Amino acid sequence: MKYLFLLAVILSFQFSVNGQNQEDEPLRIIVIGAHPDDADIRAGGTAALFADMGHKVKFLALTNGDAGHTSMGGGVLAKRRREEAKRSAEILGIEEYEVLDNHDGELIPSLHVRHQVIRRIRDWNADIVITHRPNDYHPDHRNTGIVVQDAAYLVIVPNITPDTPPLEKNPLFLYLEDNFQKPNSFSKDIAVVIDEVIDTKVRAMAAHESQMFEWLPWTRGVKKSEIPEERDERLAWLKKNEIERRFPTEKTFDREGIKAIQKWYPSTDPETVKYVEFFEISEFGKQPTEEEVLKLFPMLNKKE
Amino acid sequence: MNKRIFLFFLLLSGISMYPQERENQPLNIIAIGAHPDDIDSRFGGTAALYSKMGHNVKFLALTNGDAGHTEMGGGVLAKVRREEAKRAGEILGVEYEVLDNHDGELMPSLHVRHQVIRKIREWDADVVLGLRPNDYHPDHRNAGIVVQDAAYLVIVPNVTPDTPPLEKNPVFLYMQDNFQKPNPFSKDIAVVIDEVVDLKIQALAAHESQMFEWLPWTRGVEESEIPKGNKERLAWLKERYTNRYTKNGNFDEEARNAIQKWYPSPDLSKVDHVEFFEVCEYGMQPTEEEIRQLFPMLGSKVSE
Repeated sequence: MKYLFLLAVILSFQFSVNGQNQEDEPLRIIVIGAHPDDADIRAGGTAALFADMGHKVKFLALTNGDAGHTSMGGGVLAKRRREEAKRSAEILGIEEYEVLDNHDGELIPSLHVRHQVIRRIRDWNADIVITHRPNDYHPDHRNTGIVVQDAAYLVIVPNITPDTPPLEKNPLFLYLEDNFQKPNSFSKDIAVVIDEVIDTKVRAMAAHESQMFEWLPWTRGVKKSEIPEERDERLAWLKKNEIERRFPTEKTFDREGIKAIQKWYPSTDPETVKYVEFFEISEFGKQPTEEEVLKLFPMLNKKE
Repeated sequence: MNKRIFLFFLLLSGISMYPQERENQPLNIIAIGAHPDDIDSRFGGTAALYSKMGHNVKFLALTNGDAGHTEMGGGVLAKVRREEAKRAGEILGVEYEVLDNHDGELMPSLHVRHQVIRKIREWDADVVLGLRPNDYHPDHRNAGIVVQDAAYLVIVPNVTPDTPPLEKNPVFLYMQDNFQKPNPFSKDIAVVIDEVVDLKIQALAAHESQMFEWLPWTRGVEESEIPKGNKERLAWLKERYTNRYTKNGNFDEEARNAIQKWYPSPDLSKVDHVEFFEVCEYGMQPTEEEIRQLFPMLGSKVSE
């Protein structure tokens, strides 16, 4: 009985030490999208989970989104979108949403933008960098993918962008999910179940009002009259039209998706899972072991 | 009978003419990397074999390597690296040219493309080796793209018209890397380099600023782990930098198949070091026989 008590003390001590370490050194994540709203759509749930656990998440949009509207444009639109991004960050509970002032629809993987990205990753002292794959439908997405890939490895080289001290280690680089197949399809390497924060994610997306209720519906031929006015109806409409359209929900995960969920949540029945964000590990950053992935994604394998 | 004698002489003259042609016209090989030392580690052994057989080999680094160090940078480092490359070239018996583009900033621009087209033409290349456009370093990827971009255009008189075009598109080959996406490297050609592996290591060691200073630093190797004596340094280097995937024990099935294809019934247990090459789709598409002509070291008996 005494031994059991001792064991319990030792165990609880260890647990609290771990917890303390976690608290002392929160993980630092930067999600780099092409436009204000890209990071939210593809990683908003995971970001909210990280933020809930006390980790530091930054969203960075490489363009100011000044082309994404029919009746607005330029600086006026950029200003509106920067405000929307700020509100979205508040809803997700993340530290920061920075919107660079490169023009929307004109992002080129130039040295100038590469250096902007290297500086931001270093300034954030990132453990994880998440971005688009270089084969997405929008040239700004592809070029964002290229430019972030180009920053991988160079972030540790002191002679590159020497105005900003280098990172000591190449971070883990991940890709956001997309559905494009050529020259190769997205790999569902990591699955993050976001059911408990899905409504937070939808509200964050709704903060990008100019996009979710004006621009994106227009690009898809949705009539203005189809879009509800009232707040709760708008959120329900958004969840249905944006989330469920883009990402498969319950019972529609493909085999790879189910395998990924089973791998990272072995004690969860995939049938009970509704919303998931998937990530692919880039070959150009740190190549983590399974254990390292679990450390970098502390929300994985948590029981419901 | 007469016919037979005639045929005999015809065959004899055909056979004897062929090696003469060989001797009179050595092959011209140009290998193009991003930094001074890239080529040495991937093609150094094969280059030494070519050189021993009297063929002309040139190494071309597209950047001057002026970012690859912690204590040095800029023109001072570029000067050190140009000297190191010269020494490595002497050890391997090849010409080594280092262009003055900045390290870490190589773009697949028209300017660099034209530099590459001129160098390939001036060398009157039969074989051009480059990096694949999916390697970990943006300079490697961009060097790969720019060499691909030169393939075919080297025969077009109106492109870079200050330098006469080649009469034939050379064979373009990729040097080996280990990246998997969007597609892995194909081990199309295998060259056993056992008889020159120590020359290759000596050539690598000539890049002192890299092999014993910069690269260990990027991998977190302590200075104290690096030996001081010349012999010990070479042994240490051999252990570290020939080990990755070109050494016996690490040969996969594709590697074993390639060695067996190009060397008649080799005893695989006696093959220690191999360099592999992939045939690029954008240059001349050689038959097996043409590959044997362009790689006259193939098929020689693997040494005891």
